[in-house]
Amino acid sequence: MSGLVKKSLYFLLTLFISLSAIFILIRFSPGDPVERILGPNAKQEDILKYREQLKLDRPLSEQYKNYFIDIFKGDMGTSLFSKKKVTELLIEHFPPTLIISFFAVSISLILGVILGVLAGYFQSTYIDHLARALSITSLAFPIFSLGPVLVLLFSIKFRIFPVSEWGSLSHAILPILTLIIPLTAILSKMTRNKYLEEARYPWVDFLRAKGMDNMGIQLRLVKICLPTILNIMGIQLSVVLAGTMVTETIFDIPGMGTLLFESIQNRDYPVVQGVIIYSTLVYMIIYFLVDLINEKIDPRISA
Amino acid sequence: MKKKLGFEARIGISIISLYLVWSMGWFIYGYFLKGTLSNPYRPIDDLSLELLSPFKSGFILGTDVFGRSLIETLSAGLLYSFGIGVLVSLSAAILGTIIGYLSALGSKWVRVPFDLLTNLIFVFPSILIAILFMSFIGPSILALVFVLTITGWPSYAKIVRGEVKRIYSQSFVEASLASGISKTGLFLKVIIPNILPIVLVQVCLGMSGVIISEATLGFLGIGGSEYSFGSNLSLAKSVLLEAPHMTVIYGLVLGGLIMGLNLLGDGFRDYLDPKNNLGKKI
Repeated sequence: MSGLVKKSLYFLLTLFISLSAIFILIRFSPGDPVERILGPNAKQEDILKYREQLKLDRPLSEQYKNYFIDIFKGDMGTSLFSKKKVTELLIEHFPPTLIISFFAVSISLILGVILGVLAGYFQSTYIDHLARALSITSLAFPIFSLGPVLVLLFSIKFRIFPVSEWGSLSHAILPILTLIIPLTAILSKMTRNKYLEEARYPWVDFLRAKGMDNMGIQLRLVKICLPTILNIMGIQLSVVLAGTMVTETIFDIPGMGTLLFESIQNRDYPVVQGVIIYSTLVYMIIYFLVDLINEKIDPRISA
Repeated sequence: MKKKLGFEARIGISIISLYLVWSMGWFIYGYFLKGTLSNPYRPIDDLSLELLSPFKSGFILGTDVFGRSLIETLSAGLLYSFGIGVLVSLSAAILGTIIGYLSALGSKWVRVPFDLLTNLIFVFPSILIAILFMSFIGPSILALVFVLTITGWPSYAKIVRGEVKRIYSQSFVEASLASGISKTGLFLKVIIPNILPIVLVQVCLGMSGVIISEATLGFLGIGGSEYSFGSNLSLAKSVLLEAPHMTVIYGLVLGGLIMGLNLLGDGFRDYLDPKNNLGKKI
């Protein structure tokens, strides 16, 4: 139990420092944020009014305190462009991102583990080589070059899936596929290495000598490999996050990524800040949960 | 005792040498033959030649949205990618090595904060911080190198920390200590030569990550240069129907670069790593 408390404290500390880092980055980036927001031709009175509205005239310590209160109240100001609340925009744009990344992560977890174990089990055969070649090739094409090529192939050449829109299931397939390919490649590679590492331990021979059937031993091996795989998944989550955002801009899906992209283009700083802060929050929470699940599966980790 | 480099490493070396020759060729062409060091040659815009397909009117790879020869923008992008990759990887490697060394051998007051810092930045979604930083500071090469270095060093620090601990317990370190070597001497003459190979492997693997991150930022429109593969792929995406060749060519060239670096890094790691025999049946 004390492990859990320690982990939670560490998590809160990490979260606190991360959010502080974002605060510092924004406040101390060169130039006046208000002047940047309003552009070089802004009137002096507008600047003053806006500064007051953003509470940038208060002392730094108070701004810092308010920044945290605002985050936990879920109030990140209003968009400069659409005049909507940032939180509203986030809630509006969250579901597509959640759907895409959830399906991409779960499908690639299953595929990655199956492929990795197969490659490990049939080590140094053509299955292994094929899996390796596939993973090397698919890692070479980042999402922003893979996505358009998939659109070219499946939407324009073969006309299987609709081009870019959002609404029905068939619209979600290509974006999910774009994310699955690199993720599966990483996961299968890691699973294979971990599988081979574990398969050499004497307990495998012991179980075999005791007369356990092959399938049972393979299942045990997979279970032993799971924490490592989940851990890698945790580290890869930031890649998934960024990947989903890029995928959305490719397929014109109204998710967090498109929101971020548009607000960067429009210099809509409150929205950029909001998207980054909440993505960081979500990422940190999932990372923490992965850690906890790992401890449940493999008690050796907490020791 | 001498091991041969694996098949993959040799493919990686060939690919990367090809790319190096290409970008060096462009460097000489753009900086010495056509332009000067202070004012390098830039691909020429000509809107009347916009979006030509490959092999038309003298352009082997066709032209892009602004009518620039795709070969020229590709070469400029390649040189830029390599430059950013090398610059960021080396500075991250140096920073990470120093911090990793200090967190392995420093006193408790140095060790604990450095450990915490390393773990913190390691779990932090680095691409997000890069996006935030670049969109607030505005696109510039200096800012790009800075933010990618800041988010890149922890993986080096982690590796160096483990390696230094392993090496420090070996008898040749004890022997050098007994012969009265100074602390800096130990670091420079004993530790560095021993961790260098593994750091260089990470430089190869890290460089492909840096190039992808840079291209991602470029794709989102906050990269450091208009020749970035990312910003060109973003342009290519907007004309996907009219000129699919742009996406395909840019994707293939960037893919080859990343694949080459990955193969090289993986190959070298297999060559150095004692766990190398993972690949063989026992």
